[in-house]
Amino acid sequence: MPDADDFAASLMDDMDPRLLELIRTRINSFIKWDLVRFFHDNPHTTDTADSIARYTGRDVRTVEPELQQLARDGVLMTEDLSGLRVYTFTGEKDVRDLVATFIRACDDRQFRVKAIYHVIRSLR
Amino acid sequence: MTTTRIPTGISGLDEMIKGGFLPQTANLVEGAPGTGKSTLGMQFIHQGISACDEPGLILTFEEFPKQYYRDAANFGWDFAAHEAQNKLRVIMSSPEVTAADLRQINGRIEMLTDQIGARRILVDSLSHLEQLTADPVELRQITYEFINGLKRLGLTSVLTRENAALLGETPDSEEDLAFVVDSYLMLRYVELQGAVHKALLVLKLRGSDHAKDIRQYAITGRGLEVRSRFEGTQGIMSGAPVMTHAEAFAAAFLSPPGGKS
Repeated sequence: MPDADDFAASLMDDMDPRLLELIRTRINSFIKWDLVRFFHDNPHTTDTADSIARYTGRDVRTVEPELQQLARDGVLMTEDLSGLRVYTFTGEKDVRDLVATFIRACDDRQFRVKAIYHVIRSLR
Repeated sequence: MTTTRIPTGISGLDEMIKGGFLPQTANLVEGAPGTGKSTLGMQFIHQGISACDEPGLILTFEEFPKQYYRDAANFGWDFAAHEAQNKLRVIMSSPEVTAADLRQINGRIEMLTDQIGARRILVDSLSHLEQLTADPVELRQITYEFINGLKRLGLTSVLTRENAALLGETPDSEEDLAFVVDSYLMLRYVELQGAVHKALLVLKLRGSDHAKDIRQYAITGRGLEVRSRFEGTQGIMSGAPVMTHAEAFAAAFLSPPGGKS
């Protein structure tokens, strides 16, 4: 007989499998969640970690490693601009569409609860 | 010979500047908070898209794109729809990255300009370039380079600049920028007969004649509307004008007691 944890997990897994994969592998922290939302809302922004931290109201020491991770995972692009390390939302349509689907899904409270559950599990 | 103009679409202003700005020029709009600098710039962009088929960019160093959508919606301008139709891009970026980007070949601003065929840009606000250096000579060079970068892309720009003085003259140190732009519009609050009015003056329009008088303007539900000139007063740009001698004489001796004629 499945234990309570397994039962909860099976309930929390009940979402679009592409979004479940996105949360488990790429948006697996609350900082990344904020950053992904920021770039979704500001798709033409190219900026440094310092500025992005300021725009999102976070500490750059917290934000920079998460930006680097998102760039490694293909959600953001990074380049050197006259000695400045800058970040931009990916130009990959598939990834942008998936992020847009995730942001829209977050309007639903039940989805958010499930997404939060998975982020917390990733942070353990 | 007639020169092509880039109309702002602002009632009264185009008449003051003989039909609009000159193409590929940098046009500075300076004023205190709340005088309508960004509204004027947004109206310039909206007019380009909706009436002239000239797509536009908004480059912001502080406000989020959503703020522009909201503000524009108050005037009935659907910026989100303009974006969806690839007629508008709102770019939020820091001054340092923007300045570096403009120096690059095929930078992001150039790419977006090409992508939508942008002809106009609102830079809101140029004051943020001051974050890049405390040296006024270097700032002037940075600004000059920045403005030339926009011109190189074929853009006609409206550049806003904040003036901390709510009423009265601009401090001398802030006048440097007037030399590197092609036109210079000043928006001012004016205290007159116990009420605050708004005044607009075209201080400079390189390569063209322009109206020299100081006009009243209002921010209405349709955007900025430039109205008649101030009559019977002098010292408008000081922020606290006084009646001309003729008006003062008339007020003192020609109006009957109680103010009714």
